[in-house]
Amino acid sequence: MDEERSSMKLHITVNGADRRLEAPPNTLLVDLLRRQLGLTGTHVGCDTCQCGACTVHLDGRAVKACALLAVQADGHAVTTIEGVGSAQQLHPMQEAFRDCHALQCGFCTPGMIMAAIDLVEHGVPLSNRAVREGLEGNICRCTGYHNIVKAVLQGQKAMAAADDKQGAV
Amino acid sequence: MEQSGEYRILTKREDVWASLNDPEVLAKCIDGCQSMQRREDGSFLAAVKARVGPIRATFKANLRLVDLNPPASYVIHADVNGGAVGFAKGSAKVFLEEDGAATLLRYEISARVGGKLAQLGARLVDGAARKMAADFFAAFRLEFASPASAGGLSH
Amino acid sequence: MSSATGIGASVKRREDVRFLTGTATYTDDLNLPGQVYGVFLRSPHPRAALGEIDVSKALKADGVLAVFTGQDTAADGLGDLPCGWLVKSKDGSDMVSAPHPPLAVTQVNYVGEPYGLVVAETLAAARAGAELVVTDFTELPPVMDLATAADAAPIHEGLANNLAYDWALGDAAATDAALAKADHVTKLSLTNNRLIPNAMEPRAALGKFDPASGNYELHTTSQNPHLERLVLSAFVQIAPEHKLKIIAPDVGGGFGSKIFVYAEETAVIWAAAKLGRPIKWTADRSESFLADAHGRDHVTSAELGLDERGRFTALRVRTTANLGAYLSLFSSAVPTYLYGTLLAGQYKTPNIHVETKGVYTNTSSVDAYRGAGRPEATFVVERLVETAARELGWDPAELRRLNMIQPEDFPYETPVALVYDTGNYQASLERALELADYAGFAKRREAAAVEGKLRGLGFSCYIEACGLAPSQLAIQLGAGVGLYESGEVRVNPTGSVTVFTGSHSHGQGHETTFAQVVSDKLGVPFDDVEVVHGDTGRVEFGLGTYGSRSLAVGGSALIRASEKIIAKGRRIAAHRMQTEVENVAFEDGAFISGNQRMTLQEAAFASYVPADYPPDLEPGLSEKAFYDPQNFTYPAGAHIAEVEIDKETGVVRLVKFVAVDDFGAVVNPMIVDGQVHGGVAQGAGQALLEHGIYDGDGQLVTGSYMDYCMPRADDLPDFVVDTTVTPCTHNPLGAKGCGEAGAIGSPAAIINAVTDALGVQDIAMPATSEQVWRCLKEAEASEGC
Repeated sequence: MDEERSSMKLHITVNGADRRLEAPPNTLLVDLLRRQLGLTGTHVGCDTCQCGACTVHLDGRAVKACALLAVQADGHAVTTIEGVGSAQQLHPMQEAFRDCHALQCGFCTPGMIMAAIDLVEHGVPLSNRAVREGLEGNICRCTGYHNIVKAVLQGQKAMAAADDKQGAV
Repeated sequence: MEQSGEYRILTKREDVWASLNDPEVLAKCIDGCQSMQRREDGSFLAAVKARVGPIRATFKANLRLVDLNPPASYVIHADVNGGAVGFAKGSAKVFLEEDGAATLLRYEISARVGGKLAQLGARLVDGAARKMAADFFAAFRLEFASPASAGGLSH
Repeated sequence: MSSATGIGASVKRREDVRFLTGTATYTDDLNLPGQVYGVFLRSPHPRAALGEIDVSKALKADGVLAVFTGQDTAADGLGDLPCGWLVKSKDGSDMVSAPHPPLAVTQVNYVGEPYGLVVAETLAAARAGAELVVTDFTELPPVMDLATAADAAPIHEGLANNLAYDWALGDAAATDAALAKADHVTKLSLTNNRLIPNAMEPRAALGKFDPASGNYELHTTSQNPHLERLVLSAFVQIAPEHKLKIIAPDVGGGFGSKIFVYAEETAVIWAAAKLGRPIKWTADRSESFLADAHGRDHVTSAELGLDERGRFTALRVRTTANLGAYLSLFSSAVPTYLYGTLLAGQYKTPNIHVETKGVYTNTSSVDAYRGAGRPEATFVVERLVETAARELGWDPAELRRLNMIQPEDFPYETPVALVYDTGNYQASLERALELADYAGFAKRREAAAVEGKLRGLGFSCYIEACGLAPSQLAIQLGAGVGLYESGEVRVNPTGSVTVFTGSHSHGQGHETTFAQVVSDKLGVPFDDVEVVHGDTGRVEFGLGTYGSRSLAVGGSALIRASEKIIAKGRRIAAHRMQTEVENVAFEDGAFISGNQRMTLQEAAFASYVPADYPPDLEPGLSEKAFYDPQNFTYPAGAHIAEVEIDKETGVVRLVKFVAVDDFGAVVNPMIVDGQVHGGVAQGAGQALLEHGIYDGDGQLVTGSYMDYCMPRADDLPDFVVDTTVTPCTHNPLGAKGCGEAGAIGSPAAIINAVTDALGVQDIAMPATSEQVWRCLKEAEASEGC
């Protein structure tokens, strides 16, 4: 098929691992992650780039993987929820979400956590209002956001504490 | 959706009328028009590549000219099929009035859209239609353009 | 056993880890060998006759394997999608049910209705193939206006009109007489705006057929896989139940929308067998907007009569409910038995009469959405009560207190067919007033006025009937199935416990709360209890999760099964202890008689290795129970909303929301609070932001997140939630259910606050900034500013 012939070669660092991939030029990053790499933690909740369920990090910044072509990630580093923490060792933000009951059905959760980590790492020190505004691009239908906001504020503290600890070592 | 507009073209009415009935002229003036054929029953079949907000598709349009009253007025019925992206249906009443040596062209469009076009593009259809009309008449004007009359389209 | 993990403890959810790390398994995450992809052909017209469907070009396209249409499903004898609740009109006649084929055969009746399925090797090829299908539609005039739909030309061939039923409940004559005698009558015309549920995971299906065994397997996004199996087997006739397995793995929210048996899932499992390849379909959000069942969509006129002392004497309600083009699975019951029966609210109104006309329109089906009928009932009652208080110069809290059913009145039989078992409505109200700082509101309003803001406060004292439902009553009222729940508790030979429940969890946290219940009841460690749900191949039967029923009904079934485990364990222990069963007590996970003690784990081992074992007892320690509730449960509460409106822009800011709810006994307070938060957010969405709008031509113009306004984090405040407790009197947990309360109580509270701020009698939902701005401008104009 035409698609095969016109496949593009991509070199993307995915969750720290060097990946050499091929995909047709019209492949969305989210489809590359989900279908080709089996990283199904990144979800698709809409088709108009508005729900944020597909949020991943591109070179450390939150992006919507449904709004990027896979080729736009060529030569860059992509981190998905699978690269953030593990069942054995949750990221402080994941831990905070669990502790605060900031998730119910879990579908928006990976995107929400990716957005929250970026918010903490690159935002001004966060207030309740700032978290709410910072998460404006991520829709959650279950929690009413109350516990998500609480979790992000708690996660921010935990991330700072983890950084301090690392700095001290 | 309802729209109307008025243009002054520095050409006599019979010439404007002839051009409005000439598939080649029409095809040239419609942005993205890939083909325009006159069919046996007098209708036109056009393929137009167009974009409405997030939707881009090749639309197949069936244009029928009715209530012909040359060279003063006609009505274009358009039945536009965008396949999976939906459809548009509408009509444009076009009136030509003599205004000295020039011609006053008035149009009144009423149209409706359906399917994905309505679902995702409803807010944008009005603007897109306005732009298409403006582009059409800008190009149409150029059909009569001599250096002296190029500024003759007023809107 | 009271402990850090028992009933009443805010145990952290065990399901969270997989969701947090991206290792959960939603339907679209699954892939099968040989899998191909389906894309549905959907009508762009609200009503049209289906002519020739030319699939020849599509079939020649690269990768396309098949195109199935309604002609094919019909020719194969596939049955219609049924409505499971027969409502009768007030003249005694059965409701008029329009046939609903899974794929449209001769006519399409709403925009987005599927009439074909294109299957191809890749998703891209299936999409491209769908583009190549040429369908000959003959447009027919659609029926779009709810108020006039009933008498408009019938949208379905063979029907006399568009009235599915004309239902009534209560004493019409007594109500009319009481209203005629009332000292004051408050009247409102209300619209309950159409909502689109929007669970974040779109619906999906992965169907597989194994020709060797004849077994069908459908992974799908369902709140009730057993019910889906029953419908697909008994009505649609896909396959007999023992040949059809339905698995609802992790499901990303439902809110009612995933209860129903839809065309797409049905067509996918059918086509998978026809084609002999597994087929996957995942809705994109645009499809969800068009083809998920919507919610609410009522127009209502209502009158509340009061005597000179402020006592409610009568309530008359006339509602027209939009059912969409077809009757979805529970749709007929929602604006009738889940609505009219709740119109007494928390009050002793002696005369109530309600009429509901259920009508067909050329729109997507309307069925249960979080609250299902009860938010609509609460909106009618609480808007009327608040308006009456304003008209008569009463403090709205005081007028409510005066009319509330008192604790000593229970059990209380309402004039609309329910018997409330227990409650303490005033306790919730007083606590809410305290948390809302009602006393300080006047000062806050003044302070806001100084800033040029309008501040308003509104109440909503709601009641709901949950824990669906006593089967006999439900069946008597038209339900096609019983509404019990099943549970099974298996104590494994080494003493760990596997629990099987017919309830389904798609965000509610059953894997945690149900483990808390069983661990508490059996006295085994929480970590030793595993909860299994959502798989018809593993769980015996179930009726699923909706109507806030999981804990009250499904949890009760597990209590009953656990009781059977204990009873059998006592016999094992009595044999071992050489005493009578009556002498054996069960405490903290152990059987005790005198100074003899045998743990449940030891009893389990003895049952599987029956060396020294009662001769008349079967080996093994595994018990099942079906629990059928004796009554509905009646959660109730008081919600208070405070809003601030910017006079220049019309923007409404929800500044405070207090919810004090009585859910009876609570198993996991953390999860219950979360359910309330989520429900309130959806109610706030209804009140302020969300609206499913079809234009006059029948097109859905709020069909994406660009136009359908979902509540986002910065639209909402932190919520203040608390509970008061009167345990349910008729289930072993004392639990009432908490999933829908937030969405039931909040819209009325918020609109009462908005109208209070604006000083107007009514404003339509959603009270968007545009609406409010127009309302402010109208007020200015009429005052001559």
